[in-house]
Amino acid sequence: MRDKELERKLRLLNIQLDNWKKLHDLIAYGLDKAKPIISSEQERQFTDLRANLVQETEHILGELKILAELSGKTMNVLQRAVSLRAVRELPHDEVRRLETEWNQVFTKLGIVQGQLKAARKKLAGQTAVAYYLSRLFRRPAAAH
Amino acid sequence: METRLLILNPDPVFEDRTLAILESAGGFDVQIVRTLSEAVSVLLGENFDGFAIEGDPAVAVEQATNARQHFPSLKIVCLLASRAEAQTVAAAKQQNIELIAQNQTGFRSALERSLRSFDRSGQAAAEGIDPCHSLIGNLNQFSAAEILQMSCLSQRSGRFTFKSRRGTSEIYLQHGSVRHAQFGSLEGEAAVAEIFRWRQGRFFFEEGIISQVQTVNRPWAHLLIDNLQKLDETLELASV
Repeated sequence: MRDKELERKLRLLNIQLDNWKKLHDLIAYGLDKAKPIISSEQERQFTDLRANLVQETEHILGELKILAELSGKTMNVLQRAVSLRAVRELPHDEVRRLETEWNQVFTKLGIVQGQLKAARKKLAGQTAVAYYLSRLFRRPAAAH
Repeated sequence: METRLLILNPDPVFEDRTLAILESAGGFDVQIVRTLSEAVSVLLGENFDGFAIEGDPAVAVEQATNARQHFPSLKIVCLLASRAEAQTVAAAKQQNIELIAQNQTGFRSALERSLRSFDRSGQAAAEGIDPCHSLIGNLNQFSAAEILQMSCLSQRSGRFTFKSRRGTSEIYLQHGSVRHAQFGSLEGEAAVAEIFRWRQGRFFFEEGIISQVQTVNRPWAHLLIDNLQKLDETLELASV
């Protein structure tokens, strides 16, 4: 059995994770002193990516019900990383903070992705009737 | 076996009608990209059963036409946000690009029907490589251009067969010139152009098999230069 809502959440999460990883790749490039040239094309990619993330993050985290937990950290990362050149010029402790917050968001997204995939796997082995019966019997008793 | 689709959607979070339909239908392995250059880059590295482009008619058909120049055998469908003008429809038809309007009645069934027809799993190429073939290799190691160049320089006559997940194609040589090429419904130079882009798959050469049909009339050197130039343009687009 397939759950439309679950599939939608997984799609949104995959989009967010994909963008979050691309952001990391570009930040890592910006911080790599061995690569001295930052092209205007890379800056444009970085801006496009930030624009997508800024636009979509709140909606996606809200749908996944992790907005309160991750919204602040995500926005911190996006606000610190204004451009690739700005990332390169960040002081060392700011870079550490950026990487730590990026990682916290990445880890949480990965955990939620794992949970959703596990739920999908469990559902795949069930028929619709078995699914609704199990939900019926799992319902807590009404309070008196 | 799932139908592998590449979908170009600039806004997959908020404009997700098609994606939602595909999710509920099941049986599709979907990869989403946001730009044409990203799509070209993905298409160069992986095999897909089809490519769907979402957006306004003029923009979607322009992107599809651009993709068609680089991937002649790829099945392409444009999922249009509104009804297309006659000129756009004609341009799409000329390039063998299917159009489906998202606001038409029965969009869902039209979409599913169209995308399911992309599935090529039933036509998967059989291995069938015989150790007695005079030349056997892997396209990961030698590109089609390299092996054809080598065979043409040594004035070979025979048949090259290329097998990949995309299907099977054949190129016939006669005295160091390409005489005939075929890949699915493509023939001649279009088929040669397609094979030039293959990065994965195997090939073998059978000496002495000559084609009765002649679909390629230009010298090998011209074909090589044109196709390498086209390949450069494709790679350039992928890196934009």
